[in-house]
Amino acid sequence: MLLRLVMESFLRQRRRKLLACVAILLGATAVTAMLAIGASVGDKMNRELSAYGANIVVYPAADTLDVQVGGVNIRPATAGSYLKESDLMKIKNIFWRNNVENISPELPLTVTMKTAGGEQKVPATGYWFHHTLRSGQDSWTMGATALHPWWKIEGAWPGNGSRNEIAVGSDLARAMHLHIGDTVQVENTPVHVAGIVSTGDATDRTLLIPLALAQQWLGHPGAVRRVYVSALTKPEDALARKDPDKLSPKLRDRWYCSPYANSIAYQIEETLPHTRAEQIRRIAQGEGIILSRISGLMWLVALAALFAAGLAVAASMTTAIVERRQEISLMRALGATRGVIAALFFAEITALAIGGGLLGYLLGSLLAGRIGQQVFGSGIAFNPTILPATLLLVVIVSLAGSAPSVWQAMRMEPATVLREEA
Amino acid sequence: MKAGLSLPLLLQRSLAHRRSRTLAELIALTVSAAVATALLTLYASLDLKLHHQFRAFGANIIVTSQNKNGTNTAPAALPQNALAIARQAAGPESRVVPFAYAVAQTQDGSSIVVAGTDLADVRAMNSWWQVSHWPELQQSADPIQVLTGVRAEKALGTAAFDLTYNGRTAQMETAGTLRTGDAEDSRIYLPLDAFEAWTGVSPTTLEIQAAGNGDQIQAVLARLRQALPDTDVHAVHQLVEAEANVVSRTRSLMLSSLLLISLTVAVCVLATLTASVLERRRDFAVMKALGATQHRVGLLFLIETIALALAGLICGYILGCGIAYLIGKWNFHTTIFPVWRIVPQVALLNLLVAVLAAAIPLRILRRLEPATLLRGE
Repeated sequence: MLLRLVMESFLRQRRRKLLACVAILLGATAVTAMLAIGASVGDKMNRELSAYGANIVVYPAADTLDVQVGGVNIRPATAGSYLKESDLMKIKNIFWRNNVENISPELPLTVTMKTAGGEQKVPATGYWFHHTLRSGQDSWTMGATALHPWWKIEGAWPGNGSRNEIAVGSDLARAMHLHIGDTVQVENTPVHVAGIVSTGDATDRTLLIPLALAQQWLGHPGAVRRVYVSALTKPEDALARKDPDKLSPKLRDRWYCSPYANSIAYQIEETLPHTRAEQIRRIAQGEGIILSRISGLMWLVALAALFAAGLAVAASMTTAIVERRQEISLMRALGATRGVIAALFFAEITALAIGGGLLGYLLGSLLAGRIGQQVFGSGIAFNPTILPATLLLVVIVSLAGSAPSVWQAMRMEPATVLREEA
Repeated sequence: MKAGLSLPLLLQRSLAHRRSRTLAELIALTVSAAVATALLTLYASLDLKLHHQFRAFGANIIVTSQNKNGTNTAPAALPQNALAIARQAAGPESRVVPFAYAVAQTQDGSSIVVAGTDLADVRAMNSWWQVSHWPELQQSADPIQVLTGVRAEKALGTAAFDLTYNGRTAQMETAGTLRTGDAEDSRIYLPLDAFEAWTGVSPTTLEIQAAGNGDQIQAVLARLRQALPDTDVHAVHQLVEAEANVVSRTRSLMLSSLLLISLTVAVCVLATLTASVLERRRDFAVMKALGATQHRVGLLFLIETIALALAGLICGYILGCGIAYLIGKWNFHTTIFPVWRIVPQVALLNLLVAVLAAAIPLRILRRLEPATLLRGE
């Protein structure tokens, strides 16, 4: 009986329910879209911020001091120790492997370059440019070019397979009168200048060569000096600054399982013995501040959306009930108890809220996806955890918003209300 | 109508008579104005606040002596008065920090980089430097209190050590340990005057933290290039490019949120006004029966709505500024002040929402047949 009443009410009073429907739909859409954006903005911005470069550096624990002034390391090339290139794959096996966006090894050395102007010693660094790492089914392209998106190349990056292609820093190219397509003698090997790189820092005064070539010239096959890692991290909080070895097991687990820059560095040290991994504080701390500000802002805006949606749904529910006072009075006059009327209305409103909430969730998710596509160039996936939150909110707010009006309508004298029939 | 029922009086009575209904409408219109004010204020100050946050990355402009031969030689010293000129050109909001570098020898003959700088300025600029204890700024010369990088400290082994540069030896003592995860970890930092007195080397690099957005940074760059023609002035590409990206993306996000929330609030106002008309059907019917024209009844309702919208605007503006201020305090740890130039926008938005929301109830009013409604009384 109740079911049939609710059904008939929906079929016959479409116009009167329009406003309530629109309000619930729009409210649920707004809440879903804002929550979806709020939940994913951290991730999206994190990816934007990875344009700042690596936030973790890995070097051999036994390494000697860097003697680096103005970006050029003048430590003797023979000093210090190395990491193994073949070990780098292991970084993709740590607990937070999916947060590791890029791995870029470097091997600095000094080489002798012979041009028309004579012989000169110049600094060079071996890099991965577009290196493919494979683990089972997965493969990733990693290296210095992706890690430094602000590096501008004229010409092409040295190819992966052809070992004798190099790139030249723009200052060095100008000083040595090198051009794209030139062939020069480096370490008595003819190499081909594939591109000229402008970075805005000391790299402009160096040669950028494939890692394998650097290893060969240095006489250390498979060696790298240090590795830069770019990882998606969580902004540092009080827990992140703790020393994991002094924490209680429970806290330590929480520390280990949070993607802090510190815990990712710790996990890299665990997998690569005899290494030191450190967060590059300039990048990690700066990113943390920006991330927490922007996600904080978006959460506050989502809260505003929640509030606005709540008010809109409550107000439209009040209106819907005011419109239907006569119906309530008629039912009362025909002998329905208050309990039955309340049950009828609340069942109707719950059905409306769930329907509107579901549709609003779909629309909101689509909208969030569109906004993500527009703003970040990558969509925002459906987030199923938002669905219960949206539904719960819409149902509770609808019921709470309509309860006072239903109550008021039931307290009125049926005779008075019915005389007003319009 | 009689003089006793003039429009202002009608309006006054109508608003006062149904207080709870008036209050509900006022609240809806206040909320709509407050939300618009808070979001627009945030949107207007977002640029400044976000760019301010990006200063956490430190220097965004580097000045070095021009490197003419382009190869691996230690950078030459900057002109004598470069620091003062750069400070003037960069403006009072920017921070200019000088750095001088030298490679010194430890007692066992290994090389170590020492840097002289203004420690107070570095501390303010490089907030990411993790320092166990900053050396005293006013210190008596011997031994020099220095900041030792964490890797340098491990290599040195002791807190008190001697370093030799160009045959001159200086005694030093570690006042605090520095950790950055970068090249600084292998260096020793000491106050610039003590560094110059010991090595005779003057600053080779100025690191400048220029305030403002991309255009302002470009302007500082241009001024610096003009003021210091013989130096190499360049922006830190890495920072400047990503910053513009992140700020513009956040702005677009805020704008879409603003539109979505405004729409939701408009529905809230619409619902409230509709309820108001429905509850007062009989009042309007009486007015019509007594000879009021359709126009006059509509006008009364419209003016009532606009009056409420204006009242809501005032309350909402104040409330919205308060919300924006609180968000600034919580989220950005700075003050967001009221922005006056958004008042017309908020007013327009609120009036538009109110009038549009009133249009639908007005259509209900027009269809009212006084006779039907009043029948039976």
